[in-house]
Amino acid sequence: MKQLRIFAILLLVTVLVTGCGYSGDMIDVVSREDGSGTRGAFSEIFKITQKQDDGTVLDSTYDNAEVTNSTAVVMLTVSEDKNAIGYISMGSLNDSVKAVDINGVAPTAENVKNGTYEVSRPFLIAVRDRENAVVEDFISYILSSDGQQVVEALGYVSSEDGSEARYTGYVKSGRITVAGSSSVTPVMEALKEAYIKRNPGVEIEIQQSDSTTGLTTVAEGISDIGMSSRELKTSETDKGIIPITIAYDGLAIIVNPENPVDNLTKEQVYDIFTGKITGWNEISTDTTE
Amino acid sequence: MENNQVKERGMKILFLIAACASILAVVLICLFLFANGLPAIFEIGPGKFLLGTKWDPTNNVYGILPMIVGSLYVTAGAIIVGVPIGVLTAVFMAEFCPPKLYKIMKPAVELLAGIPSIVYGFFGLVALVPIIRNLFGGSGKGILTASILLGIMILPTIISISESALRAVPRSYYEGAVGLGATKERAVFFTMVPAAKSGIFAGIVLGIGRAIGETMAVIMVAGNTAVMPTSILSMVRTMTANIVLEMGYATDLHREALIATGVVLFIFILIINLCFALIKKKEA
Amino acid sequence: MDENKPKAPLAPSEDQAINKVTFSEKWADYKKHPFSMFLYILVILAAVITVAVLGYLLVFLLVKGIPNLKWSMFEWNYTRENVSMMPAIINTIIVTALCLLFAVPLGIGSAIYLVEYAKRGSKLVEVVRLTTETLSGIPSIIYGLFGFLMFAVSFKWGYSLLGGALTLAIMVLPVIMRTTEEALKSVPDSFREGSYGLGAGKLRTIFRIILPSAMPGILSGVILAVGRTVGETAALIYTAGTVAGVPSSIMGSGRTLAVHMYALLSEGLYTDQAYATGVVLIVLVVIINWISNRIAKKFGNKLG
Repeated sequence: MKQLRIFAILLLVTVLVTGCGYSGDMIDVVSREDGSGTRGAFSEIFKITQKQDDGTVLDSTYDNAEVTNSTAVVMLTVSEDKNAIGYISMGSLNDSVKAVDINGVAPTAENVKNGTYEVSRPFLIAVRDRENAVVEDFISYILSSDGQQVVEALGYVSSEDGSEARYTGYVKSGRITVAGSSSVTPVMEALKEAYIKRNPGVEIEIQQSDSTTGLTTVAEGISDIGMSSRELKTSETDKGIIPITIAYDGLAIIVNPENPVDNLTKEQVYDIFTGKITGWNEISTDTTE
Repeated sequence: MENNQVKERGMKILFLIAACASILAVVLICLFLFANGLPAIFEIGPGKFLLGTKWDPTNNVYGILPMIVGSLYVTAGAIIVGVPIGVLTAVFMAEFCPPKLYKIMKPAVELLAGIPSIVYGFFGLVALVPIIRNLFGGSGKGILTASILLGIMILPTIISISESALRAVPRSYYEGAVGLGATKERAVFFTMVPAAKSGIFAGIVLGIGRAIGETMAVIMVAGNTAVMPTSILSMVRTMTANIVLEMGYATDLHREALIATGVVLFIFILIINLCFALIKKKEA
Repeated sequence: MDENKPKAPLAPSEDQAINKVTFSEKWADYKKHPFSMFLYILVILAAVITVAVLGYLLVFLLVKGIPNLKWSMFEWNYTRENVSMMPAIINTIIVTALCLLFAVPLGIGSAIYLVEYAKRGSKLVEVVRLTTETLSGIPSIIYGLFGFLMFAVSFKWGYSLLGGALTLAIMVLPVIMRTTEEALKSVPDSFREGSYGLGAGKLRTIFRIILPSAMPGILSGVILAVGRTVGETAALIYTAGTVAGVPSSIMGSGRTLAVHMYALLSEGLYTDQAYATGVVLIVLVVIINWISNRIAKKFGNKLG
């Protein structure tokens, strides 16, 4: 027992000593988990995942990047770690972290809308068929100018599928289950609350999980509306699910507020997230100009 | 009278059925896990699955060696952190603690045991990670942080079982040692602790079980990188974290591979339970 | 009476009471025995670390969490503005009640069988004991996977409070079984003999004599089980789901308080509220522990 403990302590000390050869401004990369809509969109925009000729997908995300399944963990990590970098939905941004410009364009809703800020993705909902009256009414609300106002009030960008017309419908009672992407959930909750105010008899249940699960449950008929933060795969549209874009969301690349870097080029983001750039000193703050 | 006998019989059978519930539960758990997990293991190839070092679900490459190693490292770390503190605290509570202080210590340990793991994880993320980052640099997440957090989490298990083991040692052992001129400390450490050895070991084994199965706390502080760890500050992904991270998205073979990860974890737990049973048998 | 108690609930204090030593005497003693002093310091240090860790954890979470507690968090309905935890609290109560509904009769019934009916050394008892120990060692994520595969997928229930509760029922079964067994065993045999002697049947003896005297022990086990269900996350995410409201039936999905905290962390919008939820969870645990201790104490008095 005693020898064992001494051995263990020795081991610990050796590993500690060897493990500490660390330089001051290594970048701590924080990524999301495989399969997350946010990671999918991010990796595609920055070409971190690329389709190979043989049909496989090459994901060159840095092996030593932290992986988490929670936006809060990304934000808490970046807000406390001066050397960290991560990416989150623009709707989740707050003062605890700093969003950097990409190629000199600031991540704002206007820039997403006018197309200059390229790092954005659609928020989709998906339905099996367009027959359920309550579902149809809810969708017509989402796409009406009233619904799109709710979307914009939250800092997201309205969909081009949205109409100028105001919502005029009314449903006496009904029940809808909405399931899917946790990124879309905040928008959907806001839309639900506004919709229920107009149609108090309707019950809407929101199941927060992820895009893939949401779409699968729609295909299987378990839920009525699926939420997705990425485009549908062909295997999914083959099952007869119809996607509708309800909003656009920018992805913000976030760093610690104390980090002097204000701007990154697309190439730099690619290099950081694939591990080609590992230190902040390799990024000159000149690019801020 | 006739009626009464039927009632007695009937209730006895009901109780018997209730007693079999736990057997049924274990059988069902085994059945569902193995039926859903084993096919994937064989489809991927047991060697490739268990010894493969690459986890790349997008391309259907599933090797969980980094996760197995991660789980083992983190558990070993938790034992290194938790066992000495836990056993010594148990010694304190059983032998050295003034009754007044005991009234605080005991509920404190119980509270430590009752705090939900999600709260531990959150605490680790916002309190422990920055400390480790400031001390050792890097991101602050990894084997070391996870080990410390898990070490804390297994403390109550080790303390309470070791304490009751120490209390079960006959007082005469202690009195004999003191009577022969040993100091209190020597009497405790060289007669009481060895006599309570198997009980303390049982506590440690249970602690190992808790540490290897812990999910929600580890996922927040381990960094969850699915590569082989190279140092004590490397980020690791445990088997449990692997399941929770990707279960939501997974379809087809990917999902089965995650369930298979659960199967491997389950087998580890069964082995640990077996050790526990053996220790207990030896004790009896 | 007191000497007969094998292990007093408090630290054995004979030596402290008989030979009270002053600090200076003790110090002089330790000077003679440096190794003993070293051991003593180690022991004290460990105890201090244990208490300090708990203290730090509590202070940290309370300081960060209490300022974030607002009355609006206890409104009946969850909206994005109030981020109310009330539905989660109600769901927690529903899930816990459902879980106990299944686990308590099964756990008590099986303990009764093991203690009152089974013959000593019977094979069945051995198997049951082995499986209970296995059950208590299985981590919650495995229960979660199992519950998901069985209730959500095979039974086609989807995410449901019932599925979550059943999963948890299996999880807490060993806790209830073991504490009930201990409680039943601690009922003196004279109670049973007296009852039989007066002509009562076995069933009557069990329900009228044994169970009532074992009740406090059983209750403290049940409360332990409540504590586990309240704190559980991993076993519920894939069985009961994460819907932020109270479902209209037990076949609907809903999040318990611990899952609520997990879900609040997922989008990064509600970190402050997650702190507050943490505080509420800890308060709940403290209350549950307090109740269980009160009952256990009553139990101790009754037999002691």
